[in-house]
Amino acid sequence: MNSLSSPARLLGAAVSAPVFDFWSRQFGSIQAWDRCLARVVARQQESANAVSLTLQPNRRFGGFEPGQHVNLTAEVEGVRVTRSYSFTQPPRADGLLRLTIKQVEGGKLSTALCALRPGAVVELGEAYGEMNLPQGPGRYLFLAAGSGITPLMSLSLALEQNPQAEATLVYWAQQRAELCYAEELRQLAARLPRLRLHFVLTREPLRLAGELARRLDAGLLETLAPDLDALQVYACGPRGFVDQARLLAQGRALRFHGEAFTPPALAPGGGSVRVTLRASGRSLDVPSGVPLLAALEAQGLRPESGCRMGLCNTCACRLVEGVGQNLNNGETISEPGSELRICTSAARSDLTLDL
Amino acid sequence: MTQATTLNRPLSAAEMDAFGQELDALRSRTMAQVGAEDARYIRRVVAAVRYIEAAGRALLFFGAFPPAWVLGTLLLGLSKILENMELGHNVMHGQYDWMRDPQLNGKTYEWDIVATGDNWRHTHNYKHHTYTNVRGADDDIGYGLLRLFPEQRWRPFFLFQPIIAVIFALLFEWGVAIQRLELGKYFSGRKTKAQLAEEFRPLGRKMRRQIVKDYVVFPLLAGPFFLPVLLGNVVANIIRSLWTYTVIFCGHFTADAETFPKSVLLNETRGHWYLRQLRGSSNLSGSKLLHILTGNLSHQIEHHLYPDMPARRYAQVAPEVREICTRYGQNYNTGSMLKQFGQVVWRILRHALPSRPGVVTPLVQPVGEAA
Ligand code: FES
Repeated sequence: MNSLSSPARLLGAAVSAPVFDFWSRQFGSIQAWDRCLARVVARQQESANAVSLTLQPNRRFGGFEPGQHVNLTAEVEGVRVTRSYSFTQPPRADGLLRLTIKQVEGGKLSTALCALRPGAVVELGEAYGEMNLPQGPGRYLFLAAGSGITPLMSLSLALEQNPQAEATLVYWAQQRAELCYAEELRQLAARLPRLRLHFVLTREPLRLAGELARRLDAGLLETLAPDLDALQVYACGPRGFVDQARLLAQGRALRFHGEAFTPPALAPGGGSVRVTLRASGRSLDVPSGVPLLAALEAQGLRPESGCRMGLCNTCACRLVEGVGQNLNNGETISEPGSELRICTSAARSDLTLDL
Repeated sequence: MTQATTLNRPLSAAEMDAFGQELDALRSRTMAQVGAEDARYIRRVVAAVRYIEAAGRALLFFGAFPPAWVLGTLLLGLSKILENMELGHNVMHGQYDWMRDPQLNGKTYEWDIVATGDNWRHTHNYKHHTYTNVRGADDDIGYGLLRLFPEQRWRPFFLFQPIIAVIFALLFEWGVAIQRLELGKYFSGRKTKAQLAEEFRPLGRKMRRQIVKDYVVFPLLAGPFFLPVLLGNVVANIIRSLWTYTVIFCGHFTADAETFPKSVLLNETRGHWYLRQLRGSSNLSGSKLLHILTGNLSHQIEHHLYPDMPARRYAQVAPEVREICTRYGQNYNTGSMLKQFGQVVWRILRHALPSRPGVVTPLVQPVGEAA
């Protein structure tokens, strides 16, 4: 019995992940079997409605690049809620992470996160996102609107470690009180002539020196970046803003990369939606509003199923993204990570399932 | 013998629909309340399981001292009962999926018992709950080993049933574990050896894990007290088996519980399905402690109507379910554990001998007959 030879393996046979995690937390540790937990070690009010949390992740954290995001999960009234946030600092020597949370009106998770105090524990997923700053020469135009500043903040800070890169950061907010990192950015720009900084305030009656008050248009772009064709443009913000930036820059700039935060659009019943099956790497079009199990089977797939009446949970699979609807009670399900019983659920938007 | 005929009246199609709608409405009203309180509850159950287990195992390390051995064994058995019933069974039904906690997820939870979660999800969540008490579709009727209903064909083998039932109870954990293998199919030649070996692989892994944990690692950790710890673990597992066997048999094999021919499944409506769940299940009345220790399967009826509702809510919906049953002229089968288990024992003894089915009230009122 080879498997019985080492004491560590013996112990491993006696303890399971939930048991290990339970006792670890009982003893005040954030180490976990296979999950990345992180402890809040500091909290800073960043603007009128945004807070930066400094986190100490456990050993399971896999690292990240400036400009990337991470799924953060916390429990709100017994239910785990997950949202994506950007790292707002490049990786630090002490391993601490900074995420900035903007409090969304009526937002369950953001409200709970903004109220977190040092000592609280949250869970992190794996870092993702392609908006990065390669080493070596490069000239960048960073366009940030609202909370779109977060990934661009860590990219701006990353300029310090990349002496051949230079950037112009244009940061839109409605009012001055909503600007995040205003002081930190000014100091950075003062230290780093390679970073040019413009704040744009669209609803502030009085402007201070250096502040602009103009929406993104061709004229403004011409003023700020006359050499657009030599620049790589990164835009981040609400969908409308990113679309506008793309319209102005794509095809003219050296490269355009946009990231927008938008809720998926609901498809009317009978319309067609795109269902992406992440585990099997397939993607297909199905009619919206019909049971997903039947729709997938109609296309020759054979997802696991049992009772076909929403009872036995055999067909349950995780919703990664998008909006589903429980056809038994009409409830819509849009929270990422929810279990969807596909025999009695329909797609109401493009969606991704862990199937 | 089939008293059941006088207890229930058949429902007309219209009544059946109304019956189903009332139960659906009760479900929606209750599910709308599910939230933070239920989350807190299941986390407390998790904590109770872990702490009681730790206390039990710690005491067993002093198992050379008899009172410590007795108490340690009882606590370990108690923790296993809680983990099996109120935690594992209910979580694996998906009752807590709305919390989105991967460690309380219905599809992935793995319990502290030799049966694999996956096999059990198939035999229990799917087959038993969809085809409750349908002969030939629900393998829980006698587990292919016992004859509990006169409708099951009698063979001389069943004369040994009283003894077999006791052995089965002691080893219930193992019986449930091999249920999915459907050994009957193998012995009758409908399944090849290779097929069986393939199906056994994940189960074998789980069995080995359980054996190594309870009968090797923890006894070894106790050093010189290897034997008392080993014995404590064996006894704790047997206590758990006896308890779950009792609770589960009381849930479907009492005197008035009915079984159904496969034909009921044809064009079964929602109301009809509810009615079948009701007539096939039986409850245990008792204290709050009894409900917790049975994983709320003391509310077997409510569990079968609403298998994915957090089980702690069954006590809340039970009075309403009962009231609905009364209005529709249906027996709400409940009684003390002593009474219900007495009926189970009687079934085991009675149907060891040849017996003939009595007349059973149909679920649906034949068309054209007045109510
Ligand atoms: S197949 Fe049973 S719940 Fe979907």
